[in-house]
Amino acid sequence: MPQSTPHPQVKLIETLLDTAGTIILGKEHEIRLAVTCLLARGHLLIEDLPGVGKTTLAHLLARLLGLQYSRIQFTSDLLPADVVGVSVFERGTECFRFHPGPVFAQLVLADEINRATPKAQSALLEAMEERQVTVDGETRPLPAPFFVIATQNPSYQVGTFPLPESQLDRFLMRIRLGYPATAQEKELLAGEDRRAMVLQQSAVLSATEIATLQTAVGHVHVAAPLIDYCHGILAFSRRCERFVHGLSPRAGVGLLRAAKAWALLDGRHFLIPEDIQAVLPACVIHRLIGNDGTGRLDHDEVSTLILTAVAVP
Amino acid sequence: MMAKQHLLPIDEQPERYQTLALVMTVSTAYLPLARYLNWRVTAFVALVLLLRFAAVRWPAAAPGRWLLLTLTFVGVANCLLANHTLIGKVGGTSLLATMLALKLLELRARRDHRISAIALCFVVVVQFLFDQSMGLTLYLGGIAFMIVALLVDLNGGMGSNPIRRAMPVVLRISLQALPLTVVLFALFPRLTSPLWSLGFDQDRATMGMSESMEPGSISELVINGDLAFRARFDQRPPRSDQLYWRGLVLWEVDNRKWSPGRAGQYQPADPELTQAAERIDYEIVLEPSQQRWMFSLDLPIEHPPNTVLSGDFQLLSDRPITTAKRYRLTSALDFRTAVPVEAEQRYALRLPANTSARMHAIVKEWQLETDSDWALVQKGLDFFNREEFHYTLLPPKLGANPWDEFLFETRSGFCEHYAGSFAVLMRIAGLPSRVVLGYLGGEPNRIGGYHLIWQSDAHAWVEVLIAGRGWVRVDPTSAVAPSRVDNRGASRLLGAYTPARFHIDSSGVLSIAIRQLRLLADSIDAAWQRSILDYSAAEQTRLLDRLGLADYGEFALAGIMVTAVTVVMGLILVGLIRQPDAIDPATHCFALLCRRLAAVGLVRHAHEGPLDFAARVAVARPDFAPRVNAITDLYIRGRYMPNPTAADIQSLSRLVKAFVPTKQRRSFSDTKRRKYFA
Repeated sequence: MPQSTPHPQVKLIETLLDTAGTIILGKEHEIRLAVTCLLARGHLLIEDLPGVGKTTLAHLLARLLGLQYSRIQFTSDLLPADVVGVSVFERGTECFRFHPGPVFAQLVLADEINRATPKAQSALLEAMEERQVTVDGETRPLPAPFFVIATQNPSYQVGTFPLPESQLDRFLMRIRLGYPATAQEKELLAGEDRRAMVLQQSAVLSATEIATLQTAVGHVHVAAPLIDYCHGILAFSRRCERFVHGLSPRAGVGLLRAAKAWALLDGRHFLIPEDIQAVLPACVIHRLIGNDGTGRLDHDEVSTLILTAVAVP
Repeated sequence: MMAKQHLLPIDEQPERYQTLALVMTVSTAYLPLARYLNWRVTAFVALVLLLRFAAVRWPAAAPGRWLLLTLTFVGVANCLLANHTLIGKVGGTSLLATMLALKLLELRARRDHRISAIALCFVVVVQFLFDQSMGLTLYLGGIAFMIVALLVDLNGGMGSNPIRRAMPVVLRISLQALPLTVVLFALFPRLTSPLWSLGFDQDRATMGMSESMEPGSISELVINGDLAFRARFDQRPPRSDQLYWRGLVLWEVDNRKWSPGRAGQYQPADPELTQAAERIDYEIVLEPSQQRWMFSLDLPIEHPPNTVLSGDFQLLSDRPITTAKRYRLTSALDFRTAVPVEAEQRYALRLPANTSARMHAIVKEWQLETDSDWALVQKGLDFFNREEFHYTLLPPKLGANPWDEFLFETRSGFCEHYAGSFAVLMRIAGLPSRVVLGYLGGEPNRIGGYHLIWQSDAHAWVEVLIAGRGWVRVDPTSAVAPSRVDNRGASRLLGAYTPARFHIDSSGVLSIAIRQLRLLADSIDAAWQRSILDYSAAEQTRLLDRLGLADYGEFALAGIMVTAVTVVMGLILVGLIRQPDAIDPATHCFALLCRRLAAVGLVRHAHEGPLDFAARVAVARPDFAPRVNAITDLYIRGRYMPNPTAADIQSLSRLVKAFVPTKQRRSFSDTKRRKYFA
């Protein structure tokens, strides 16, 4: 592995990943992707069945990263005010006072986002994109870092409002956890309660260290052939007849940023093709719509399709 | 079918427009072939192509494997049925065309498209066996351009708007090919006769002058609108009534027919002229006639090499003229031939058996009225002029005694009637006579600066031996009174190609314009013929002469060709290597590593990153792992790190060069262990 002098904070991240790996078993790659997403200043969507550890992962990350954490349970009767906050008239001072909603936190877990109505969803998604909230004509900035982990059940479950593509595009990554492997599952069954374990953890990084790392991601060097490679992937997605339309330029920028964060986590100051390939499935597939009428795409098959179609320069 | 498509690697899946473009190119390339192939073959190919087009629109229409197999057998059987052979020019082309059309029905991967496009090149080349005109060359050039564009697109993946993106590449490739084309054209050793006329397919003989003359034979020829030959004069061309183009000389006459002097009966002596003035130098390009005789202005005094000038001044080629032939000649308009020997004079006096009493009587009458041979000839001409003789292309049918019937009953005919019967009359009068077949006049093409002589200019005249003057040309047809030339039949039969002597009215603006256009097109055609098609062994020999290498013949030619090709290819190669975006050294080294590993069976996929590849190699051949890892590490630094150091590149290059992987040898213990565990 080619090593240039790694960023000092990268060591801390390694510790973080190791610790997380002892609590959420057998999901090292997914945890790494989640941290990558945070470093790339993106938001994360975890899509899977209930009970595979989505919430635990979010909670764990908040603890280890030392981030101020809040959780919004999305339900069908959730209102936008329940997310962003509300101004209440105070009798004592004879004026309105703003009570910030749960979105005013560094790490927001939006649980089961597809159970809420589109109106409530969009309140959160706008906050994600703008990193600020406007209530009663007053714009209030959200804390930094601001990282949203949304979870959703697969949309074919009853009583859901699936996120439209335009909203999905705002998530840098979508990952799936899936069932644990046999050995890990047995270990899980035998071990102690995960929730209790999470609560025992203390912060490994501070908010300033995270900010330093996020800045360092922007300085990762990208050689010209890798720009070509990235563009090749975008061009292929637009040319391929399997998709309704190709990837947006935003998707391209996001892909490259995520790849740079991945390279940084790997202790490098420059990008190699494998970085792009590692983050590509998580960054790209949820932004594509299948051309077969159902719109569905098989995650693994499409990842392989794109990765094998474009030659590494 | 869908399932099969998915088994292909993604970059081998053809786009629909590529299939469509290929099928359209093939169809366009086939169009000119329809003229030469049997209608059965054309119909089958058209049917297959229609099916192919339908399959582009509705993929379900594509035939399955069994139907395709059946179609293949039907196609071959159809070729056999149409041509009775699968080889030869037409047979082979039919088979090639059928098979390529069938190949189009199984276009699955891009590879199939590429193969079909390359096979189409053969169909393009084969068409030159049938036709070498400039029009077809341009047409097929366009097809070739399309084929290259298709191949570029199939190999490169031009993305959206492929045609416009492929064009610059195609232009560049074509320009690179141009010097090579010129070298091969100029230097590729020519066979003195084309390969495809060596035995098979002599079926397409051009209609032309036949070897004998009987009433009606020339008027048939006159209806033919084909070109006989072109003539270009070095100096000012003679008047058109002086342009008697001499071809065959006919000595023998029977009850119906004039034919050439038979070998064994009489062999004329060598040609001998006592006087020749007004020398004229000119060049003729003769269209293929499958015959040996050639044409010259009356009377030729110098003949080109590889030809014979017979005693009666017939110009004969060594071998039948199967392709357009160009030759230079000198003729004299004013001449006097030597007096022939006794035997020759007697031969020119033989009479047919069916001369009638009326014919003898009229000649007797003329002899009594005249005192010299020449006066007698004039008397004969007067006879045609004075009596009610008509000149027509639609003469009435003649019975068993044509010479007599024409002279005294029908009195309307074409030049063969006049020449034939006049010569018989002269022989009765005791004047040795013979008939000459050839052409009269010609159409001057001022744009091209030459004369066009059409088959419709065919003519026949008589030569009479006059004491003291030798053989003298007498044209009895010209004696007919102009008022009795019946041109209605001619213009009806000939349309635009009415020869000059039938021209009634060519003053209309439109007809002049059409005529000018036709002449322009013909002069382009003639230039093509002269500069491209006629470039032959003779020119190559001249080139060798100039270089002083004539003694080495074709070997010298081949040697120069190989040298020139090497030089041209070398220049192109140098040009390609020195392109600005030359591959960077790290990539070059890594490519070498990949090639070496591929040689031992470890092939890197195009989409595989260097680390993944190194990891795969390490699993397959743990013995390579340290070196491959080190090389990969340096390659990644050299290629993807900002400002790679020269030292890294150098050690990369050194490591790669030193790394020569060998195939794994299975040792004895290895085999034993394997058996043990099995």
